[in-house]
Amino acid sequence: MQEDRTPLKTVRIESPVMAKNRQLAQANQRVFNSHGILVVNLIGSPGSGKTTLLEAMVARLGDALAVIEGDVQTRRDAERIERAGGRACQIETRGACHLDAQQVGRAVQDLRLETDPCKVLVIENVGNLICPSSYDLGEHLKMAVLSVPEGDDKVLKYPSLFSRASVLVVNKIDLLPHVHFDVDRAVDECHSLNDGIIVFKTSGKTGEGVAELCNFLAARQAELAHGIGE
Amino acid sequence: MHEFAAAQDILEMLEHTLGAKREVKRVHLTLGPLSGIASDALRFCFSELARLDGFGSPDLVIDEVASRVRCGVCGMEYAVMDFADACPGCQSLRREILSGDEFTLDWAEVEEE
Repeated sequence: MQEDRTPLKTVRIESPVMAKNRQLAQANQRVFNSHGILVVNLIGSPGSGKTTLLEAMVARLGDALAVIEGDVQTRRDAERIERAGGRACQIETRGACHLDAQQVGRAVQDLRLETDPCKVLVIENVGNLICPSSYDLGEHLKMAVLSVPEGDDKVLKYPSLFSRASVLVVNKIDLLPHVHFDVDRAVDECHSLNDGIIVFKTSGKTGEGVAELCNFLAARQAELAHGIGE
Repeated sequence: MHEFAAAQDILEMLEHTLGAKREVKRVHLTLGPLSGIASDALRFCFSELARLDGFGSPDLVIDEVASRVRCGVCGMEYAVMDFADACPGCQSLRREILSGDEFTLDWAEVEEE
């Protein structure tokens, strides 16, 4: 005897997951564009030197730069940026491994861009090579930081980040004489995921390469402001 | 563990589509290797959240599709799951990525009311 079963129906949905975050990210980007601010989503491992790099950028860009710091806990990074003479606000995610567009939208309100404008805003994401790559924040470009002590084999292990980044920063190059890191290998593997990625070699500690990176960001900001002004 | 947030998002999408929280028999997703989502972690979070949140115990079917790429040297199109795999035609790693970041909720199966 056949079992009596309720018939099933299929409901088609066919929608991207995390579309809500993307909509909030688009709203953030409209705010950034209205102020002519270039926004960078800075992503790298814990300890890759993201904050030290930002301290060196504050010394060059001064008031033109504002920073949103993302960490699981503490205001330590925002305090470092402020001690270096920069403007920063801190997001503490209280456990989450990434920033999302809603948190960034709130932090942007705290920065009061109407009365206190900047040209470049860097959002330093929670130290992590995986989760932050899935969340758009409204940025114009993702900047991946890979520091020399992490090893030159990391790019293909974390393809979702390096395929989406517009800029690769190879950081801590002052340590190249002391550790094995083949810069060409890392860059070639990055190009295998993302042919158009722009590469900078920097040391946040010595300042090497920071001027080139800042000049690039300033030029991109000028293009953005020009494009919006037209 | 951003898969937890992703699982919450899927359940919100289901609730929105179905008009209410209700028992779901099966859910189908498509996932590409550049999505940054780990299917096992997603499965774990989804099944726990679905049960606790009034969606029953749906089967989660995840179609893990490969990334399509075009070789930058010989032009051959091929599929990759692991980006350390070179072109099967010429062994080059130079390539243009055509797809791979898919993360979609495709359909759900529920009992007829």
